[in-house]
Amino acid sequence: MSADRSRILDLLAGGKITAEEAERLLDALDTHAGAATAASGSAIKGDPEPLIAALPKYLYVKVLAANGDNVDVKIPIVLVRSGLKLTSLIPPLAMDKINDTMAEHGMSVDFNNFKPEDIDELIAGLRETEVNVDAKNGDTVRVYCA
Amino acid sequence: MNVPPLVLDLRVVRPERRPVRLWLPLFLLWPLALVLGVVALLFTIVADAVLFVLGRRYHHYTVLLVRSFATLGETRGMVIRFSNGKTAVDMTVQ
Repeated sequence: MSADRSRILDLLAGGKITAEEAERLLDALDTHAGAATAASGSAIKGDPEPLIAALPKYLYVKVLAANGDNVDVKIPIVLVRSGLKLTSLIPPLAMDKINDTMAEHGMSVDFNNFKPEDIDELIAGLRETEVNVDAKNGDTVRVYCA
Repeated sequence: MNVPPLVLDLRVVRPERRPVRLWLPLFLLWPLALVLGVVALLFTIVADAVLFVLGRRYHHYTVLLVRSFATLGETRGMVIRFSNGKTAVDMTVQ
């Protein structure tokens, strides 16, 4: 196994990247190595660093209210991942209370359905998601990863 | 494992007043949290063992405690900014 592959797998094992991102990096590494081999006739190792650096690291939430109030929040993706993984460990009784309270406030998300294996997929999806809300009163909300 | 947050940088800008900047040394809280964590860990290990022996489905308080500390450690890099045109508050976990 090449050092680059090993490094990508280490990042995956350390929870720094998701399984999907690891797959994309490995694919990119193969493509890069394949192109280099085709061009030069020799196997040149691809450098995954630029690809890893290009992955979004933060989740941004920007709220611009019409009355001039602005809120910017920058959350590390690793914190989002860690927080989501934590939800799968919350005791069932406490989780039921959380679900009930959230439902009372109009957010009917059942965290009992959060499974650790789904979290990586969710994070991968989150990295490619952008939410833009423009309210009638002029308030705007943007949620994106970068 | 990431380095836990060491400093909370808090900046407050108000009109016609001097800006305030505070560096709150979070690294001073970590040793205390570590001591409390170890004490709590002893309780959770005992609780989990008892729950396991009793055949309860949920016996993960120890993992929950450890993961909670890990989650706190991942807050490094978080930035919260608030401004209302007059006052601006900027909080950075470093």
